[in-house]
Amino acid sequence: MAPNDPIGAPPSRALLTIDRISVSYGQVSALKNASVEVFRGEIVVLIGANGAGKTTLLETALGTHTPSTGSIRFKGKAIEGVPVDRNVRNGICLVPEGRGVFASMTVLDNLLLGAHHNIRNADKHLRRVYEWFPILQKRRDQIARTLSGGERQMLAIGRALMSSPELVMVDEPSIGLAPIVVNDIFNILRMLNREGYTILLSEQNANKALRCAHRGYVLETGTVTLSGTADQLLNDPGVREAYLGA
Amino acid sequence: MEVFIAQVINGLALGSIYVLLVTGFNLLLLVAMIIHFAYPQVVVFSMYIIWLVLGLTGNNLLLGALAGIASSILLNLISAPLFQKVMEKRAEVDINTTMVLSMGIGMIITDVLSHGFNKGHPIAFPETLAGGEAILRVGLISVLPGQVFSLVVGVVAVSSFFLLLYKTRPGRAFRAIAEDPNGARLVGIPLLRTGLESYALSGLLGGIIALLLSVLLGSASPGLGEQVAHKVLAVSIIAGLGNLVGGLVVGLFLGILEAIVQGYISGTWSNVIAFVVMLVIILAKPNGLFGLKL
Amino acid sequence: MPLPLYYFLTITAVNLLMSWALYLPYRMGHLHFIVVANMAISGYTAAFMVLSLQLPFWLALLAGFLLGALVGYIVALFIGDAPTFAVVIVGFTFIYITRTVIENTSAVGGTMGLFGLPNVGGSPAAHRWTILAILYGLVFLVGFLIHRFDRSQLGRAASAVFIDKDLTASLGIDIKKMGILLQTFSCTLAGGCGVLYGFIYKSFHLDYFTFHVIGILMTVIFVGGYTTLWGTVLAAPVLYGVPLLFPPEIASWRIVIYGALLILVLVLKPEGFITTRFVHTIGSYWSRKRRQPTLPNRRKENL
Repeated sequence: MAPNDPIGAPPSRALLTIDRISVSYGQVSALKNASVEVFRGEIVVLIGANGAGKTTLLETALGTHTPSTGSIRFKGKAIEGVPVDRNVRNGICLVPEGRGVFASMTVLDNLLLGAHHNIRNADKHLRRVYEWFPILQKRRDQIARTLSGGERQMLAIGRALMSSPELVMVDEPSIGLAPIVVNDIFNILRMLNREGYTILLSEQNANKALRCAHRGYVLETGTVTLSGTADQLLNDPGVREAYLGA
Repeated sequence: MEVFIAQVINGLALGSIYVLLVTGFNLLLLVAMIIHFAYPQVVVFSMYIIWLVLGLTGNNLLLGALAGIASSILLNLISAPLFQKVMEKRAEVDINTTMVLSMGIGMIITDVLSHGFNKGHPIAFPETLAGGEAILRVGLISVLPGQVFSLVVGVVAVSSFFLLLYKTRPGRAFRAIAEDPNGARLVGIPLLRTGLESYALSGLLGGIIALLLSVLLGSASPGLGEQVAHKVLAVSIIAGLGNLVGGLVVGLFLGILEAIVQGYISGTWSNVIAFVVMLVIILAKPNGLFGLKL
Repeated sequence: MPLPLYYFLTITAVNLLMSWALYLPYRMGHLHFIVVANMAISGYTAAFMVLSLQLPFWLALLAGFLLGALVGYIVALFIGDAPTFAVVIVGFTFIYITRTVIENTSAVGGTMGLFGLPNVGGSPAAHRWTILAILYGLVFLVGFLIHRFDRSQLGRAASAVFIDKDLTASLGIDIKKMGILLQTFSCTLAGGCGVLYGFIYKSFHLDYFTFHVIGILMTVIFVGGYTTLWGTVLAAPVLYGVPLLFPPEIASWRIVIYGALLILVLVLKPEGFITTRFVHTIGSYWSRKRRQPTLPNRRKENL
């Protein structure tokens, strides 16, 4: 059941605009003239196979890579070349693929790391994260390594929320998780979206992702080959064959 | 029995200095991601600065201590860009190059000390530093106030450091980078600035170590840096590179071992025995007793 | 021949040979500093054999090589595949222990050292020529061997270990065996060098075998270049000879200059001055000059 229109007044311009960026690792081109837009209050999903460039796109938006061509605008301002920590402070965050929690540190320490740049308000954010994820409060003194896959994903999301972001980027949230847990995670993302967070996620599991998103883009070998509303993509025969197959 | 107790106190004082050295070394290894062979030489250089300032100010201990700490921090911060430059050059960070670079730094420091200070003769710290009257005296062994001071400050410094590491914001950032530099970057931790902070912090530790060594040993020589360096490096290998708690255990063990042997056999041989024990352990387990972190 | 020239030629040869002793294990990433201890152990043993046991020089020299091989082999059994860091510490520790043992053993002169070694070959002149001959014979022999090694399958495998040890191991290459081979060879060479070094001066003293030696050898290898043996060939005589031209006040700061050079090279040109690419360029330029101007089917060198 695809959610309705974006919450709140439609903005005059996008929260995040990625305009024809190209990124290469040495000789290997990872992204070529890729363009993606995310408006406030939306859930946008990037679909594509392994190696299509989804992670590169998210990381470039975060600031880990600098595009060789094209531009990225966040809240109206250009951010190509801006270092990651500054972008995080400005309201972008990334929940990396494979959870990316610090396995040897406690749940609480992991969460506090998320608030590294805003430690004064950490208590407030911590309370909110504990409300949404009571299991994290229960396990707050446990070493992250002892958490289950689903709990680690929650921890990673919770940590991202500690920086009170405006845009939450999630890289492959369903990877390595059991189907039931994947449902939980997507429910969480939907809940966060209702609370006001804009979400940009990448997924190989196109089916579940498109059912909870507003719009989507299809990435193939570094270029955007298709874009549209979630419904359009779900019903597109090409997408069905390539990504929604049995 | 009293000899034993006295030497255990000495051993703990010496051991806590080793622990501080290993910790400073590990900090640079984990957060700045360099191997700094010459870290103990930086410490010895600071001892010379302390000696110099003490001589110039009529044994003003506070000024001497501050000068030692300042010189240690400064030397570290100056060498930071060199290390950074060397690391950039490689596609993957080749930590061995930082090792060689630090050896170059060590060469320079040791030779400068041999040439520029006191004409290369060993320097002696004023006896008032260690405290005149012995607190505890058993035969030829005595425990001076200076040694107790060294032990107390050492313990306080080590505990404070671990407290910082596990209970504060900068400590969290250090641990995050130590575990996963890429993950830390994605969370928005500024790698470069935090790396520099670790240079400064281990510089601070180095200055404290210099002060404690001055009190405990009462003298220094250009060769002291190398000797201490080899012991500290051996300790960090045995404990496992980057293993902070392991460093704590092994450092204390070495200090106590040395002191006890010193209590019963003459000085040079205690060193050799310590080295032989460490050599055997390293040969048996080149990856460290508790496993390699790198 | 004039004495300064004799010393320059002999010491340069020793520096070169010892640099090669370090160069070889470093092809696979090991900084095998124990070679300095090997010099001391073999050197002092040989001196003891000649002075106290009245044994001939040649026997002592052979013993020096063999002792180096023995020590090197036994230690390599433990650290043949250890991480570089461990190899370095083992080296340092060995040097320290060796020095302390020698210091406290009066039979080998303790801190005073051993003096008055006899001339090899009867006269001082014959002695000098003999030592020179042995040293440069070794230079050509070892240089040839290393040259062949670098171009062999084994040399390529060593470079692979240098770049990525785990990947190379997964290709089925026995790292420990390679380590044992290289380390044993380098310690054997170092043992012989230690004996010869003392016989250059006809005396042995602890000052010959200090940690400074490590500094000098490192500078030669890294400034010259550690990916090909020509780097050390160039750097050893230059780095040793040039400071000799300076007035003593500056020359006494040699170690600081070496340290600064080492740092400079690492920051600016980490592979050293003479790299494999440089050698190939020179080599192909050289062979091009010797052939016809038009050569349509010259095989392209794969750099």
